[in-house]
Amino acid sequence: MQEKIITIIIDAQGKSTLDLEGFAGQSCEKVFDDFRGGDSLKVDRKKTSYYTGQQVQQEKSQH
Amino acid sequence: MSKYGLTQTVLREEKYLVEALKEMGYEIEVHPEGTQLNSYYSEQEGKLANIVIRRQHLRGAYGDIGFARQPDGQFTLIADELDQYHGYGTKWLGRVQQLYKEKQTLAIARARGYILKGREVINTSEGQQVRLQFAVRR
Repeated sequence: MQEKIITIIIDAQGKSTLDLEGFAGQSCEKVFDDFRGGDSLKVDRKKTSYYTGQQVQQEKSQH
Repeated sequence: MSKYGLTQTVLREEKYLVEALKEMGYEIEVHPEGTQLNSYYSEQEGKLANIVIRRQHLRGAYGDIGFARQPDGQFTLIADELDQYHGYGTKWLGRVQQLYKEKQTLAIARARGYILKGREVINTSEGQQVRLQFAVRR
């Protein structure tokens, strides 16, 4: 199972980038919202594994 | 990677803002009901702020600097226009936001049980970046 890693880079202008690895679907959104902490969102991009992981979870729940 | 986001720090939580300013070496006054700021320009007198750094603690400043809570819960910076060009402008506010965000992030991670794997300060042409990495407890 892929390790779940959260990387946050805060720049000198007060902007942050938030990278989530190994998360999928709802858990990804929850962690993202946790760390966003009420900040205004400038870019919100879901990666392929976001959907892939979700599909895997759904397939597992059907068995 | 599952998701990528870019956010702009919004100053909402008093405790992290106070901690950030203290880390920058300032003496802070906190006034829940607001207090008047002293200013170089008489027309700016009468402005109220909730978190205040008096000018005697601000090297080279013409007036006090304050943060006032807005009806939507955000803090906004109140400073003399002159001071914006004397070291207390956008760059200074960016540093406040950076420290605020780091403190907020570490507190959120602690509360949610995420494990801090590393903290790194990276020098770039646009200033220092702070890189924090967390893992999820299994």
